Amino acid sequence: MASVELKGLSRHYGNAVAVDGVSLRVEHGQLVCLLGPSGCGKTTTLRLIAGFIEPSAGEIEVGGKLLSSPSRTVPPEGRNMSMIFQSYALWPHMTVAENVAYGLKIRKLDRATIDAKLKAILGTARLEALADRYPGELSGGQQQRVSLARALVVEPETLLLDEPLSNLDANLREEMRFEIRRLHDQYRYTTVYVTHDQAEAMTTADLIAVMNKGKVEQLGPPEEIYAKPRSEFVARFIGGSNILRGSALDDGRISVAGKALRTTGRKLQPGRSVSLSVRQHEIGIALDTPLSGGDNHLHGVVTRQVFLGSTRDYTVALDDKTELRVTAPPGCNIAPGQTVWLHLPADQCRALAEDVP
Amino acid sequence: MTRDLSRPILIAVSALLAAMIVLPVGWLLVVSLTNKEGGATLGNFVALFTDPTFVDPLITTLIIACSVSVICCLVAAPLGWLVARTDMPLARTVRTLVMASLVTPPFVGAIAWEMLAAPNSGLLNQLWRLMSGMPSDEALFDIYSLTGLIFVISCYTFPYVFILVANALDRMPGELEDASSMLGAKTWQTARRITVPLALPTLLAGALVAFLQALNLFGSPAILAIPAGFHTLTTRIWSLFQFPPKPELAAAASVPLLVLTILLLRAQAMALGRRGYAVLGGKYGAPRSIRLGWLRGPAVALALFVLAMPLFLPYAALFNSAFSRVASRIVTPETITLHNVRFTFLELSSTMPALKNTFLLATASATLGALLALLIAYIVARKAVRGHRVLAFLATAPLAIPGIVLGVGLFLAYTRPPLALYGTLWILLIAFVTIELPAAYQQLGSAFHAVHPELEEAGRMLGATRLRTLADITAPLLRSAVIATWCFIFVATIRELSAAVILFTSETKVLSVLIFDLKESGDVGAIAVLSLSMVAITTIVIAAANRLHARPQMRPAT
Repeated sequence: MASVELKGLSRHYGNAVAVDGVSLRVEHGQLVCLLGPSGCGKTTTLRLIAGFIEPSAGEIEVGGKLLSSPSRTVPPEGRNMSMIFQSYALWPHMTVAENVAYGLKIRKLDRATIDAKLKAILGTARLEALADRYPGELSGGQQQRVSLARALVVEPETLLLDEPLSNLDANLREEMRFEIRRLHDQYRYTTVYVTHDQAEAMTTADLIAVMNKGKVEQLGPPEEIYAKPRSEFVARFIGGSNILRGSALDDGRISVAGKALRTTGRKLQPGRSVSLSVRQHEIGIALDTPLSGGDNHLHGVVTRQVFLGSTRDYTVALDDKTELRVTAPPGCNIAPGQTVWLHLPADQCRALAEDVP
Repeated sequence: MTRDLSRPILIAVSALLAAMIVLPVGWLLVVSLTNKEGGATLGNFVALFTDPTFVDPLITTLIIACSVSVICCLVAAPLGWLVARTDMPLARTVRTLVMASLVTPPFVGAIAWEMLAAPNSGLLNQLWRLMSGMPSDEALFDIYSLTGLIFVISCYTFPYVFILVANALDRMPGELEDASSMLGAKTWQTARRITVPLALPTLLAGALVAFLQALNLFGSPAILAIPAGFHTLTTRIWSLFQFPPKPELAAAASVPLLVLTILLLRAQAMALGRRGYAVLGGKYGAPRSIRLGWLRGPAVALALFVLAMPLFLPYAALFNSAFSRVASRIVTPETITLHNVRFTFLELSSTMPALKNTFLLATASATLGALLALLIAYIVARKAVRGHRVLAFLATAPLAIPGIVLGVGLFLAYTRPPLALYGTLWILLIAFVTIELPAAYQQLGSAFHAVHPELEEAGRMLGATRLRTLADITAPLLRSAVIATWCFIFVATIRELSAAVILFTSETKVLSVLIFDLKESGDVGAIAVLSLSMVAITTIVIAAANRLHARPQMRPAT
């Protein structure tokens, strides 16, 4: 096991930039998620780490050894990594046992060792009964477990996962998330995990790198990414937030829909237009005029209300017609058309960095 | 490390392909634009287009091609619809038999129809005279005529259109028709307003396929038109090679055929490209099937009647000629004889050399063609070298070169030093590999598409080198496709006539040319025996390929 370090990693295809100066350090035994929409460069980054493509600039070091640079790239077979593919990539002409044992045979282990390791991993992955089946005869979840077993049995230094759950149905996906985390906790491989699903990233990762347009937009533990999005892109991608636009005032507050809001986050330059994010369920909604004289309050009209069982979901139009989503407790029942006051707590309003153009 | 090899490989393969395609076509154009003294001229074209012995065949060919494509659509569309969309009995059998009729090389079909409908000796004419009591110089059918030729070409062309139409109707989602029914349309209204319009682009593509086929066919017109005293473009090109040969005129005459073919292929790609809405896959239900009611009987009778034309009648005639002493008599249990078989294989001195040449060439072409196609398909599918698109283009380009045109081009390219290959088997080998390369490449290309690149990458992640991955993973997964491609080229080579007829010499005669040559001497019994042998070999190889292709464990994983 070893740390993985990306230093100013870039990859161009003609004029298109797929990965743009990514620097990232994954500590020994850590699980890092590369999270982002399709086309953000996360899969290219993973394939660069795997050695399938060469960087146009920058370097990749694993355990202090230089593996990739524009002039020299160790091929995938020389990296002692394992990878779980989006398609699982199980070989249809080999049985489960043959698939799993392939990496051991390549490593020229003796028959007895191969058998022992094979038996152990099939046990861990709950695949003993399926050893002689062909991949075409397995369900999606079983195929996924075979692909995990095949990757883990060779005891790689680094484990790479490329959208491993995207081909599974919702129930199975949730189960496999925990399974992947359990196996990671058991073996503690240095792991890079690519996904576009933020819930998947939240449940599995030690560290999340949100990627956009080939760059890492924000790097941090799941809690931080969730609670303190640094940019509008991150806030939108993680979801559940309202993004409001306004302009910075001289006193450091932001003017939104004719009202001034206090925010946290970054320092603001007076006069500049800024966005702020506030999570839907942090907003208070009330019919009464606020007693405090309207500090960090906005005025609006309820345009829609949906009862969701454990919560109520409101859409409120502000005075300037901007719409805001509010998640309120189910007991709070306000009919559409009513005028309401929204409370946006200052410590929940985050001023966001401007987006990369 | 693999990168270092990529440039030489690309250069070698491109050079080979260029030699195979650019050389003959280039010489064709050069010679067509050169006069006897070696100067540049348009004289050959002027000579051709003012010469009625060239203009008439051109017009004849266009008449034939138009008629054939119309007839094929008129026959194939209803038949395809009956098979794919109705509860007609024996639908599966009919479909299989139509496909089976493709096994018959068109020139064998033409010979068989000669046996059936030649004015005097034709079995059908004899039968008619017997029943009507007409005198012996009267004939009901005359196969040596423009209509006869159009009929025979249609017999062996409509299956192509049929397959296109039936497949398109198979894939057409039933929901599209259900939606029409939900809006109140009756079954027949839906068929007329939804099903037919959806199938139209396919039918148009089918018409173009038929047109192309009729345009470039050599065997059937050579057998039926020449005795009737007229020429088509292909037979006219061939006749320019008969003594005294006029290669410069043959080259010029090939150019219109080449240009027409390229234009038609473009038109066909456009027709099929617009097929978008009749598509494929997705989560659609099975196509609906229309109840024919009392029409089921007449429908299947019609289908079997159509099948009699390319299949039942010709094969009856071939078997009759093969096992009877006199080809124009119906064989009976008393007169049945193995005389023709014995004569063909033991006494006819040219049979064994031709068989030997044919098998040698078919094996070599299949092996070389499959390997070349595999290499190109790998390079293109895995984008292994820069410029791989050029290879894909070159590998499919021969589609646009009619067999006879390629024959002329290769003749011109290889009758001069340093590569004087004319008169050897090599020139035939080059011709066959070139002709079959596009289909072989397309087959293996789609096979590579079915092998997800991640399957190979998974091997490399686990420590296998590129070469080891190819051996352990790619090769076993492609094995059945490669074998199928091999069989396909083998069969196609055995049947090939139009290029071979230009390129053969007495030393390098192949089976198809031998059958064609025996026509001159009128050895009907031997022709029938050899034709049936050819069909038998073809059938066996295709059956073997099908068995291999249907191996169960080759299902993809996801």
